Amino acid sequence: MEQKIRVLVGKPGLDGHDRGALVIAQALRDEGMEVVYTGLRQTPAQIVNAAIQEDVDCIGLSCLSGAHNELFPEVIRLLRERQAEDILVIAGGVIPQEDIPFLEAQGIAKIFTPGTSTKETAEFIRSHIKRKPLAFLEPPKKIAHIGIAVKSLEAVLPFYKKVGLPLLGTEVVESEQVRVAFLGIGDSRLELLEPLHPDSPIAKFLEKRGEGIHHVALAVDNLEERLAQLKASGISLINEEPKDGAHQARIAFLHPKAANGVLFELCQYPASEEARP
Amino acid sequence: MSTKNFTQLYQEWQAEVAKRLEKTPERKERFATSSDIEVDNLYVPQQIDDAYMEKIGFPGEYPYTRGVQPTMYRGRLWTMRQYAGFGSAEETNQRFRYLLEQGQTGLSVAFDLPTQIGYDSDDPMAAGEVGKVGVAIDSLEDMETLLQGIPLDKVSTSMTINAPASVLLAMYIAVGEKQGVPSQKLAGTIQNDILKEYIARGTYIFPPQPSMRLITDIFAFCAEHVPKWNTISISGYHIREAGATAVQEVAFTLADGIAYVEAALQAGLDIDQFAPQLSFFFNGHNYFFEEIAKFRAARRIWARLMRERYGAKTPKSWQFRVHTQTGGSTLTAQQPDNNIVRVTLQALAAVLGGTQSLHTNSRDEALALPTEESARIALRTQQIIAYESGVADTIDPLAGSYYVESLTDQIELKVLEYMEKIEQMGGAVAAVEAGYMQREIHKQAYETQRRIERGEELVVGMNCFRLEHEAQPELHRVDPALGRKQTEKLAALRARRDNALVEQTLAQLRQGAAGSENLMPLILDCVRHYATIGEICGVLRQVFGEYRAV
Repeated sequence: MEQKIRVLVGKPGLDGHDRGALVIAQALRDEGMEVVYTGLRQTPAQIVNAAIQEDVDCIGLSCLSGAHNELFPEVIRLLRERQAEDILVIAGGVIPQEDIPFLEAQGIAKIFTPGTSTKETAEFIRSHIKRKPLAFLEPPKKIAHIGIAVKSLEAVLPFYKKVGLPLLGTEVVESEQVRVAFLGIGDSRLELLEPLHPDSPIAKFLEKRGEGIHHVALAVDNLEERLAQLKASGISLINEEPKDGAHQARIAFLHPKAANGVLFELCQYPASEEARP
Repeated sequence: MSTKNFTQLYQEWQAEVAKRLEKTPERKERFATSSDIEVDNLYVPQQIDDAYMEKIGFPGEYPYTRGVQPTMYRGRLWTMRQYAGFGSAEETNQRFRYLLEQGQTGLSVAFDLPTQIGYDSDDPMAAGEVGKVGVAIDSLEDMETLLQGIPLDKVSTSMTINAPASVLLAMYIAVGEKQGVPSQKLAGTIQNDILKEYIARGTYIFPPQPSMRLITDIFAFCAEHVPKWNTISISGYHIREAGATAVQEVAFTLADGIAYVEAALQAGLDIDQFAPQLSFFFNGHNYFFEEIAKFRAARRIWARLMRERYGAKTPKSWQFRVHTQTGGSTLTAQQPDNNIVRVTLQALAAVLGGTQSLHTNSRDEALALPTEESARIALRTQQIIAYESGVADTIDPLAGSYYVESLTDQIELKVLEYMEKIEQMGGAVAAVEAGYMQREIHKQAYETQRRIERGEELVVGMNCFRLEHEAQPELHRVDPALGRKQTEKLAALRARRDNALVEQTLAQLRQGAAGSENLMPLILDCVRHYATIGEICGVLRQVFGEYRAV
């Protein structure tokens, strides 16, 4: 499921002017973000509570009453107290230019003064949020390869030769205790996996399920960040950290229970390898 | 009417004006242009027919399209009433005296947000807000300081106060008592328009039903005890600021007006008992001719409603009397001096529209509260229009312009359509509770923002004709220690006053609020004994509950 940037628009204090807050909330929604508007008269504590509960990436504060120097820093202080300072905080309203350095020093990332376009605000949020949701990682690019478990490479290679898939090479991957044969198919490959040791995962797979398709590997970028986000969104991982795979790729496996019994591998190729046709 | 000809009708009107002028003469003996062309008090078509009399008529006569007074600004100029207030009662008192010395003719008090929402300065909810957007008033003591040296029998005072309007009016009456001015002589206005708080301004406290009761209690009390007071200022200003169009501003304001009339009738009041004390508050916005037409259309619609639908008999009940403030949200933070020009045009439109009083915004209001210099320029702007431009020398000078008359008719038509829709929803209170007007305004505000961002609507200095480097103007600052000072003052007051008496009057108020008697005398008793606004509103909060936005 695509995850959107989540923003909380808050009106701290007693100020009742919410034209700006409502307009920016609507504009950010139109920019594809999920926006929660707290309504009027929220204390800094209520705003911080709501932000944590709603798990937002950004808080936008609006104040036109002149109470900003008291109320905005209090929001920052409470976020720190709750260890939620990774939430980006921006603000707007009737804020004199001379107050901006103070507020920014307190931890407000940016003060938007009257006349700022809503696009500019949206762009700022996109480029400054500290927790990037999946929506802003590229989707997986292609099937990198399909892994097929075999008892003996030599026994099966003649079949693939007859089908016409070229053998690109073989490689021993020590970390998995396998010997791998790579067959080219367009931009993807088939990987034939032969166990090197009776205790290796492939040997166990063969024992339990026999020869056949073992896993599907997806080519991705930002592997580390992606794993963290998948984990945060409740997907179980076999490898929470990337490890070395064949062809200098960094790889990690998702747990098959996350995909109804299918084992998925994510692999990230070094830039030079990726450029390979 | 058709039996009378043009000359007869016109002469009758002039005779009526002449009668008035015996009592109060015109500002000058003779009005003339720079080329010494004599300027008449009124210009009319060559042929006056039924259609003219029905739609336009004469100034001071039904349906008041050309103005509510037969002499208008030939007799007396509009009241120049600058909204002011910040920090402590002492500081605001000084600004008031300054403005009166500078030739301002009425006071207009801005209260801080805790006062407007019924919190004392030492309430945790008031943190950071004390004295920021207006003056902090906690008890009668602060009100005495605020009005020190200002004779309440000579000055009329407008107070922008809504949810706790009864409390502030009671304090004003109590200060009058101390000055020896009976409530019968007090003149002024309380905004007291709770419906637009739910719609656009946000300083509500109680739910709609008990709020409407507080308002009708004020109507009844003032009809008897404070007859010169405008008991409500039904406000389109904030509706417009929140993003509404001119038509929406007029429609929602008049729909709110109808709701107050209905509530008062239901409370058993007679229409002619309270309607003369109703007043209105409009925004002076950018689109020059539409703004002028808006005032003319509103007067005509209100007069017809009051006379035809509600059967009001007193002409004063038919008159749509209006205060105008220039549009704050039209001001830009960029190149703030340009705002002086915007304000001039907006003020001119309000004057050509026939406003009774006017506030002109200061150039720096998109940045902070106005400095004394900015506030002075804003007042001077009105004075230049009044004394130099000559636009006040003849009544309703744009009548008969094909364009202005056509706009007036079209605005009237569109307003009536909107009002009909609100009527079908069960009236303004039901429409507010359903969030209808709030949504309509928000839609419009968003559309305006998009038009500005796409460059379809140009704002000089903001999305075109920008400057690379903006100079930083001097700004007004409020003393950040004020919250602490007010808190100390409150503690001293609570130690000094007769707390048993305070408890007793608050208990009586609680009992009254739970019943159905008029609450004004009870609130007056509380303030006389120095109960604070937070204590009084606290009691009412317990009985009435609090409003939560839909």
